[in-house]
Amino acid sequence: MNSAAPLSTLDRFLFSFFNPEVAARYVAPMLDGMLLTIGLGLCVIATGLVLGLTLAVVRIQHVRLINGIIVAFADIFRALPPLVVIILLFFAFPYIELSMSAFTATWLALSLVLAAFTEEIFWTGMLAIPKGQWEAARSTGLGPWATLVQVILPQAVRMTVPPLTNRTIAITKGTALGSVVALHEVLNVSSAASSEAGNATPLVMGAAAYLILFIPFVVFGRWVETRFAWKR
Amino acid sequence: MRPALELRDLCKAYGALAVLHGVSLSVPTGKLVFVIGPSGSGKSTLLRCCNLLEVPQSGAVLVDGQDITQAGVDLNRLRQQVGMVFQSFNLYPHMTALGNVTLALRKVQKLSKAQAQADGLQALARVGLTDKANTYPGQLSGGQQQRVGIARSLALKPKILLFDEPTSALDPELVGSVLQVMRELRESGMTMVVVSHEMGFARAAADHVVFMDKGQILEQGSPQVIFDTPQHPRLREFLTALGQR
Amino acid sequence: MDNLINVFFNPDIMEKVWPFLLQGLWMTLLLSLTVVPLGLAGGLLVALAGNQGPRWLRWTMVVYVDFFRAFPPLVLLILIYFGLPFLSIDMPKFAAVAMGFLLNNSSYYGEVFRAGLESVPRGQTEAARSTGLNRFQTLWHVVIPQATRNVLPELISNTLEVIKLTALASVVAMPELLNNARQAQALTYNPTPIVLAALMYLMLLWPVVRLLSRLEHRSTVVR
Repeated sequence: MNSAAPLSTLDRFLFSFFNPEVAARYVAPMLDGMLLTIGLGLCVIATGLVLGLTLAVVRIQHVRLINGIIVAFADIFRALPPLVVIILLFFAFPYIELSMSAFTATWLALSLVLAAFTEEIFWTGMLAIPKGQWEAARSTGLGPWATLVQVILPQAVRMTVPPLTNRTIAITKGTALGSVVALHEVLNVSSAASSEAGNATPLVMGAAAYLILFIPFVVFGRWVETRFAWKR
Repeated sequence: MRPALELRDLCKAYGALAVLHGVSLSVPTGKLVFVIGPSGSGKSTLLRCCNLLEVPQSGAVLVDGQDITQAGVDLNRLRQQVGMVFQSFNLYPHMTALGNVTLALRKVQKLSKAQAQADGLQALARVGLTDKANTYPGQLSGGQQQRVGIARSLALKPKILLFDEPTSALDPELVGSVLQVMRELRESGMTMVVVSHEMGFARAAADHVVFMDKGQILEQGSPQVIFDTPQHPRLREFLTALGQR
Repeated sequence: MDNLINVFFNPDIMEKVWPFLLQGLWMTLLLSLTVVPLGLAGGLLVALAGNQGPRWLRWTMVVYVDFFRAFPPLVLLILIYFGLPFLSIDMPKFAAVAMGFLLNNSSYYGEVFRAGLESVPRGQTEAARSTGLNRFQTLWHVVIPQATRNVLPELISNTLEVIKLTALASVVAMPELLNNARQAQALTYNPTPIVLAALMYLMLLWPVVRLLSRLEHRSTVVR
């Protein structure tokens, strides 16, 4: 009789980590969590990249005071752990009547961090373009904006795509940090479900969800790296 | 007398592309053999088979009578006896000239630091660069770098020196200093195999000239014969194209 | 203005919680000093295995690296920390946390070292082998030093990431800086501890960021 025989280690393992019954119970909230993670990720990528690029372009104007602020911003948000920024926004700001939802706090924090890194990557990319390119374009009568868009940025993009892809992936994984402020993204849902069920299967489901979401990104990132070989 | 280096029926292919078609060559001790030919003729591959940087599919490479293509040969020991000088110098950028020269002395020949330094300085003296012992490759001219490269091989007291287009990457003014060193080496009795386009040097210093094309030796002989009375039509074409006729 | 200072930079609270936060900082440093050297060594081994080994090993390393680069570190941490008890494995908290971080960062370091190894021209290996140096000697004296020099900015950048990553350990109640700050915040009903912790992170890491910027700009600026 099965109930009398002790479960083998493998059986115990499967029961705790790959339990189909438990899994079925939590598929729906898990999918919701995945949608949220995807939505949050896309928002972060959009705002972060746009803000970062804008800051880099502003930095080209070489206005000392503004550049100082931009550099300070980039330094601070590259130095602070993203989790600390999320906590600050979510737990500290309410004290001055500025409370925000878990989604907003997570999105804002990650966007600022991504923007900081993006700005630096674009800046470094543009620095690598020889001054001669600017001079040549300007001497043919191209205005500063046209030069930037037609000549400089296309070349800078080539250099910046690999590190940009890697950094974006790294920061988008930070959406999991939202779980710390009770955002109902994948990790939060899986942890809660695991506690509720007394079973680790939801955690494994969550892990699998992340892998499904991010492995394609990482593989894409690798392809990008080979396509746009980072020149030194 | 047994030749210092002998190649028998070497065949080498990269996948479907055959580069050497059964090449045989004998290099007597103390002689300078010069290999010429158009690019793609297999000259470099031939040279690199001599110290097994390339492994031939079939054929034998005999160094001092011993076939080095056989299993059980101590490759690292062998390579101290057959030195190589590269077209792109390949100096270690993170070490000084002396460091470059003494690395193998310390690690392979297991000499003491003092002894290695002494031998290293001696080798640098032979190429006229004792005063650059503590300089880094980045601070040396191309010609100086190549001479350090030669010193690096010399320090191991090899029996044979292989030169793979040693001056092709150099500015014209710097070529002379390297050729000078090579001339002195020959005069001191070193066995040398040189792949190069420096025809003037070949005329003046080579004992034997070999012409290769499409993976085969088409003609060989003394410099006078090869340059003044070439027989093979391909060789004539080649020399005309180079303005040597 | 006064109100802002009282809320975020309250001097009394700062004085009270400072020792507690300092303890947290020690733990952060301890975690970092454990995980960084191990991660570097692990990453180098991964890169060497891929670079020197047979084809299947190279592919295995790629899979290993991509797997852990796709896996959010927090998820990994939680999985190890809460999952191990289910496997009846009893591991001290520090070890579990360290292992989680190690798996994550050895893959990032592995990628960096891989690029570094590939950036050393083959001629270097050929020259070294031609003077009789064996494989290990060639790697140790000629290839690895150059590889490391070539990717130093990336290595430092990654190390910075690892130190920031330690903040995640707060989620599993590891008494490092962020964790202690949050506890203090809960106890004092005031966000000053968190602000103080943020400042401490900045003090620790801003210099590293500056150093990194300088290195990165130096290696890309066209002369």
